[in-house]
Amino acid sequence: MMEQRDRAWICKREDRQYPKKLQYYDSMPEVLYIRGELPEPDKPVVAIVGARACSRYGEHQAYRFGKILGENGVQVISGLARGVDGMAHRGALDAGGKTFAVMGCGGDICYPPEHRELYERMKEGDGGILSEFPDGTPPYGRNFPRRNRIISGLADLVLVIEARTRSGSLITAGYALEQGKTVYALPGRVGDALSEGCNQLIADGAGIACSPEMLLEEIGIRAERKVNFRQNSKIRLASQEEMVYSCLDFQPKNIEDIYQETRLDTRVIAEVLLKLELDGLVTEPVKNYYARAGG
Amino acid sequence: MYSSVLSATISGVEGVPVLVEADVSGGLPVFSMVGYLSSRVREAQERVWTALRNTGLTFPPKRITVNLSPADIRKEGTRFDLPIAAALLGAFGYLEHEKLQGVCMAGELGLNGEIKGVRGILPIVDTAVKNRCPLCIVPSANLAETAGFCGIKVLGVSSLEEFLELAKLEDWGASLVSEPESKEEKDEEYQDDFSDILGQEAAKRAAVIAAAGFHNILFIGTKGAGKTMIATRLPTIFPELDREDSMELSRIYSVAGLLGGERTRIRTRPFRSPHHTATAKALAGGGAYPTPGEITLAHKGILFLDELPEFSRSALEILRQPLEQRKIFISRVHGNYEFPADFLLAAAMNPCPCGYYPDRNRCACTRHQVENYLGKISGPLLDRFDICTEMREVPGEKLKHRSAGKTSEEIRREVLRVHEIQKERYKGTEITFNSRLSGKETEKFCITDKNAGRLLGKVYEKLGLSVRGYYKILKTARTIADLEGSEKIRENHISEAVCYRSIDKKYWK
Repeated sequence: MMEQRDRAWICKREDRQYPKKLQYYDSMPEVLYIRGELPEPDKPVVAIVGARACSRYGEHQAYRFGKILGENGVQVISGLARGVDGMAHRGALDAGGKTFAVMGCGGDICYPPEHRELYERMKEGDGGILSEFPDGTPPYGRNFPRRNRIISGLADLVLVIEARTRSGSLITAGYALEQGKTVYALPGRVGDALSEGCNQLIADGAGIACSPEMLLEEIGIRAERKVNFRQNSKIRLASQEEMVYSCLDFQPKNIEDIYQETRLDTRVIAEVLLKLELDGLVTEPVKNYYARAGG
Repeated sequence: MYSSVLSATISGVEGVPVLVEADVSGGLPVFSMVGYLSSRVREAQERVWTALRNTGLTFPPKRITVNLSPADIRKEGTRFDLPIAAALLGAFGYLEHEKLQGVCMAGELGLNGEIKGVRGILPIVDTAVKNRCPLCIVPSANLAETAGFCGIKVLGVSSLEEFLELAKLEDWGASLVSEPESKEEKDEEYQDDFSDILGQEAAKRAAVIAAAGFHNILFIGTKGAGKTMIATRLPTIFPELDREDSMELSRIYSVAGLLGGERTRIRTRPFRSPHHTATAKALAGGGAYPTPGEITLAHKGILFLDELPEFSRSALEILRQPLEQRKIFISRVHGNYEFPADFLLAAAMNPCPCGYYPDRNRCACTRHQVENYLGKISGPLLDRFDICTEMREVPGEKLKHRSAGKTSEEIRREVLRVHEIQKERYKGTEITFNSRLSGKETEKFCITDKNAGRLLGKVYEKLGLSVRGYYKILKTARTIADLEGSEKIRENHISEAVCYRSIDKKYWK
């Protein structure tokens, strides 16, 4: 069955391969259409979900969690959506891990289309594309919240990276709680709209995802703490560069913000930023908005 | 009897001499007018005839023929009323034919003999000068506009009676009138000043660079960031126009009918800010007989397009040719017209439909929406902005203790100095400003020192610039170096220019 990768294979509820984790719940679909493989039942699965219109911070963390989990043999599951979902898949793939996408449309349709590369990689051997909808089902908006129950159902642990209040990610968290799964949320600043949902989850008792290692411990994997995250701050910089660099973070800032904080001449700021950008320490994700390059 | 007098019609913003001929002969009493006339000219027949009779003159019933020559150019407008009346007076023997030679005239008549002002008097006087016509008779209402012309005497008349009185005098009494002196008008005082803007250092700096090198500039930012505020203050930091430019511009405004009253000469750089509902024709110039559009009215000045993505696609695309050629050609059924359009394009826009991108805490626009919004502006148009600056609103409390920055006056002096440097450098060439350099000229005039060259090479590779983008950075860096009075472009000039480089689409993903 696994040979026919470009054609979906069908897994019915009564089949042996049908994920055990889904058997417990009545609401799960009778049929799954699968491209690639199903998650291996004896390996841990973590779902990473979050906002589509996420911040740079969210993107960065989704990638980082996906990558470190993937490095440690955890299977990452998500919804292939823009923003957090895509970055989590990407992180896991880059780590050489397996990652699975549960689609809200037919499994033959790559939605959103810009994730074609991720879609192909998952289909071609680094995981699988799952859907409860037959091939050719267009991406109807109403189907997307429903597929979230499968995401949480397949997972041992659900991590919410960034979520506004009343968002799809919170629906997933809701399913996860109903299904008795552990829910973790990435803490954010109070007042950030994108972190409101996460902070609310934490207030309601969700775990606080301070690091990927914490999650690994939670699911029973001992991980060596990697130090690469803090590397950047050890870089020695000239004083003006240090001033500019230190006021940047993962939330992009524009020149005016930097000026307000450093009081350096805008000409000097421009010069320093270009130098840092060329050295790969700073990125310009949006015109004239600068952020630290990924940790 | 035959009589004729010189007048002029307007094609684009240039005058074309027209000889108005009248002939009175025996036969059935008919008044016929020929010479490829538009209906506005044709109506002159009724106005002139009635006005002449209301002035107290009597005319025997004769066959009257009026011809406007050359007969293959379409004539338009009401400015032929006075010359037709004069030619008729000559043909009926009220004026000597010789009296009308060497006189150029234009004006609209009222039924009571009153002479009213017309549009485009400057190109007409200009045509008279070119045709070595020593005297020009214009409506009194237009007299002030003609001040400052050399080599011609201009008389103003307000009624046919006055016209006939003048005709009795030797040489129309021109010797009694002193050469019209150009009044030393005071500069238009600007209400706004650059020092009104608090914060936004980067954007203000970008505006100064744009003014100094005449670079097109795009402001992107959240609502309330002050994009419009900076843009509307752009004219205050430009030095006054020189005499030649001032005359050229006044001619355009004269044709558009925007001179008159207090405003007799355009001395400051125009600032045109059409609303975003403006059509392509409103920008380019339109009508069956095209009149100057916004881009021509912004000649030598600033065309400011606020809310750039809200303009219709066709209106924006029309800007591409004039931005390249500095003029616009309009073809209509009656001929081809050329209008000058050498303007600085300034534009302002939000980064996304809600205006808060990339602040994800407030902006919930999907990437698709953001891309669509930017996509409303075509790549080629975007490419024509040398400078692009990003603005974000500054919180009120941060502004409280800010001292105001430089005033417009101070900046204007700086800009003037840079304009003079450029004039000196490009002496003997067609080039006026750094932004007008072609690729080859950029290589010739924008010389970098060693470090700057190395940095530019690195930037070119790492940031994946296009060749056009590369030249744009060089040209902007040239202006920045000029602002500092540096002969060669140095490293810090390049890095600042890179910071203000125009957006690549990839930065919106």
